[in-house]
Parts: sequence; structure tokens; C-alpha cells
Amino acid sequence: MNIRGLWWKILGPIIFLYVLIGGMTIPLKSGITYTSPSTAKGGASISMQVTGYNTHFKSASQNKAWLKADSTHYIQAKSLVFNDEMNATIQFDIPSIMPSTDTVQPLTLIIDNEIDGAFVQPNAIFVTFKDSNSVNNAQWQSLEDGLLHRNTSMTFPYRNILNETIRNTFFHVALWFAMFILLIIGLYHAIQYLRTGKYDHDIQSAAINKVAIMYGVFGLITGSVWAKFTWDTFWTTDVKLNMTAVAMLIYLAYLVLRGSSTDTDRRAKLSSSYSIFAFLALIPLVFVIPRLTDSLHPGNGGNPALGGEDLDNTLRMFFYPSIIALVLMGMWMSQLKIRFERLQERIFQNQK
Amino acid sequence: MNIIKVKDILLKELSIEFRQKFALGGIFLFAATVVFIIYKSFNNINAREWTILLWIIMLFAGLNAVVKSFLQEKKETYLYYYTLFDPVDLIVAKLLYNFIFLLCLFVIILLFMTVFSGFPVKLPILFFSGSVLGILGIAIVFTFVSVISATDNTNATLMSILALPLVLPIVMLLLKISAVSVRLLSDTAVNEDVMLLAGVNSILLGAMLLLFPSLWRS
Repeated sequence: MNIRGLWWKILGPIIFLYVLIGGMTIPLKSGITYTSPSTAKGGASISMQVTGYNTHFKSASQNKAWLKADSTHYIQAKSLVFNDEMNATIQFDIPSIMPSTDTVQPLTLIIDNEIDGAFVQPNAIFVTFKDSNSVNNAQWQSLEDGLLHRNTSMTFPYRNILNETIRNTFFHVALWFAMFILLIIGLYHAIQYLRTGKYDHDIQSAAINKVAIMYGVFGLITGSVWAKFTWDTFWTTDVKLNMTAVAMLIYLAYLVLRGSSTDTDRRAKLSSSYSIFAFLALIPLVFVIPRLTDSLHPGNGGNPALGGEDLDNTLRMFFYPSIIALVLMGMWMSQLKIRFERLQERIFQNQK
Repeated sequence: MNIIKVKDILLKELSIEFRQKFALGGIFLFAATVVFIIYKSFNNINAREWTILLWIIMLFAGLNAVVKSFLQEKKETYLYYYTLFDPVDLIVAKLLYNFIFLLCLFVIILLFMTVFSGFPVKLPILFFSGSVLGILGIAIVFTFVSVISATDNTNATLMSILALPLVLPIVMLLLKISAVSVRLLSDTAVNEDVMLLAGVNSILLGAMLLLFPSLWRS
């Protein structure tokens, strides 16, 4: 047993286990899932029902709440009543004069305490003002510096709509990345086969491509389930989905091609040419067209890609290791297939 | 690449084609029949259906047409070619031949479609430039796939299995360009799509020219 050659086989599952445990157990940041009422008139006194998520209203002692119009105009809550950790009733006196010249102004709700840190619900309430005056706005106050708390414990970002499914980033997105890395390795071997004519390269190329196709199917399934929870449908007309469907069809045709011939030399030549051709046809599909058209996916049609609040540093701590782990495990899986094929080839050679 | 050789092979292909008029006529008849069936079953075709049907008919008629170009010849002929020509010359000639053939097919289908269900195109320059580029792309993919399936025991089913998914990206771009040209969509970035189509074509063409010599040896 050569232990030095085995390190990556052990490393892959260990990293993946780390991703599974960490990715599934670390809590989300606090957020607000529900507020009521959604509209109010200027000058009214309202009591707002708020349902939080992962909040600690009762345990925290320094709860505060504001409604924010813009960066210098805030209303502080008159009183806060907490029914339990998650539910609160907050009283606001809304001024009758608003700071900007619009007659309808969306206000953002900010809640802060020392356990959860500060969290917001954008456009929590729409206020209609009879009168607007940008000069006389004494009822509005600004927020002093250092008033908000910061949550220092390790948490994943809370995003509206995504909620807990943000953890799927480690699997769905990482699967696509791993698939592409594996396809590129497979492509390298296909090119090497055509250059050198060594049958071993074809074995490797085919085995790696097969694992990549499997990852692709998993990526589609995880994405489909994710879409069901966030976009409320298993399949949308989103351009990226359709392009990946085409990509999967192209690679399934690759499997058909490999299955169609029993002559190994010919099969090797055809399928490595086809896989190079297919990969080249894939580049505009997956990288260019989605960038040009609108898409629900991040990184397309003006949505931010891997950045901003969608992928913060705590997510990165699991996202990148997940890609590495999936690539390593994919290489291991293809390695089993490669060894099997090599043995088969050796038996075949001995028969002759 | 030798232009004269390419021209010779191309002329040879064309003359063979015109010698067997029944095959040629068969494909055009196929196109005409399909257009007529669609006209009878739809009665009134709107612009959206028009573009989609045009390309679907084009795709399947073209598939039928190109299958022959490599499958019609015998193994011995190939061996003969192998001693005569440079593989790049041969594949370029085949590609040109398929391209011309598909263009003729396109014109004929377009003619039938116009006769039976009108011509809804509002931006003809965009429509025709997009179509010619798209047909070139289809020709490249079909030629490449026919090479693959021809070397593999002349298997015509394999051809359609391999060609249809590969041609999908081109067809999707084509459908979008056609949709813009009949004013179904208004898209200011449609020039980018045309450029993209040209880019895809050149990538695929380069890949085919690089890969064909090694396929050819078998």
C-alpha cells in the first residue's frame, strides 16, 4: 500500500464532510420574515407586527427599532413589546411631513439588539404623505454612530426568498464548478489521445467525462429543487437552465456515441474528436449567451455574481472547499473506472 | 489548403449530385410536402409559427440531405481519395458543397413557405444575414457529424442523435434572430447575436479543420 499516493482520496471525503457538517449546522443571520401593516398614512401612530427569523427578542435586553427613509432620516420606535423570541409588536409615530418630495415613501425597518446584531427588512412599509417638505423635517432624526451592534458569531447571510436554501450554494453551484473542471481535464486527455494515440488517454478522458456528466445531472437536480423553493417551479424559461439542458443533451449524445461502437480504436478516435467539438460548442452556450440575456441566476442580466451579500466570507469558507472536495472525489470515482478499464484492456491484450 | 483542388472536389460532388437527380428531387419534394402538410394543418400561420416551422423543416430536411454526402460513397472510394487529396481540401470541399446544398434547400423552403403562408419578415437584411450565417453553422456541424457517423459503419441514426443536440445552440440563436427580424421581439442587441453566431461558426470550423485529419486516417 502506497500511502503517499492516497492522500487526495482521503482529503476529498474529509473536506466534503467538513462542508456537509459546517454547511448544514451553522445558523443563518437574523432576519425579518413578516411585517404588518404594509401601508400607513403620514401622521398616524401605528403598531407593527413583526415576525423575525433566528432572532432573540426576549433574551436580548437592548432591543431597538427604527424606520428608515434615507441615510439621514430615521424614526425611532416608541415602544417595543415582545411576545416571544420571534414575534414583536413595535409602536411607531410616523411624522406627517416627509423628508423627500415624493408623496409615497417606502420605509425600511431596522431592528437591533446585542445578540443578533442589526438586521433590516427593506420596504417594510409604504407611507402616504399628504404634505411633503424637505426643509421642515424636525420630526425625523438621524442615527448616531456606533449605535448598531454587530453580530460577531459565525453565521450565513440571511437573504429574502432564499432563507435556509442559501446552503445549497455549497452543492448546486459547487457541482457546476466541479463539472467544468472535470470536463476540462477530460478535454485535456481527449486532446492528448489525438496527439499521441495512446489508448490509455481515451480511457481516462471517457471515465472523467462520465463523472462530469453525472455531476451535471446532480447539478440539474439540486438546481431544480432549489428553484422549487425560491422561484416556485421546478423548471423556468431561464436562459441558463435551457442552455444547460442543451449541454447535457450534447454530452448524453457523447455517451450514445461511445456505446455505439465496439471497435475500441475507432470509438476512441471518434469520441475524443466529438468531446473536443462538444466542449467548444458548449463555451458560447454556458459562458456567453447567458451573459447577454436576462436571467434569474446571479451574475446574469445585471444580477451580481459571486460577490456582495450573496457570497460573503462565511459562505466562501465552505464554497471553495466544496469545489475542491467534489473534484477530488470525482477524480477518485473516475480512477476506479479507469483502473477497471485498464485491467479489461490488459486481459484483452493477453487473449490475442 | 489548395484552392484548385477544393474547387475540383466541389465540382465533382456537384456533378455526382446532378447525375443522380432522383436523390436531389427527393429532398426537395420532402421539403415541399412538409410545407404543404403544415399549411393544411395550420391553415393560418402567424409570424411566430412561421419562423419556428421554417427552421424545423430546414433542420430535418437538411439532416436528410447531408447524411448522404458522406454515406453515399464506398470504402474503396475513400481509400482512393486518401491517396489523392489533402484531408483539409476534402473537408473544405465537402463543407462548401453542404453549405451550397443547404442554401438551395433554404431558398426552396422559403419559396414554398411564402407561397403558402406569406412572408412576415420585416427586417430582410437581418433575416438573410442571420440565416446565411446560421446555415453555415448548421453545415459545419452536420458535415462534422456526418464524418463521425460515416467512419462508424455508416450509421444514419447515429448522425441524427449526434447532430441535433450539437446544432441546438446555433438554432437557438437563429430563432432569436428570426424572431427579431419578424418583429416578434424588439432587441437592440441583436447585432451581438449575429456576431456571436459568426463567432460560434469560426470556433466550430477551426475545431473541425483541426480534428478532421486525425479522424480521416481510420
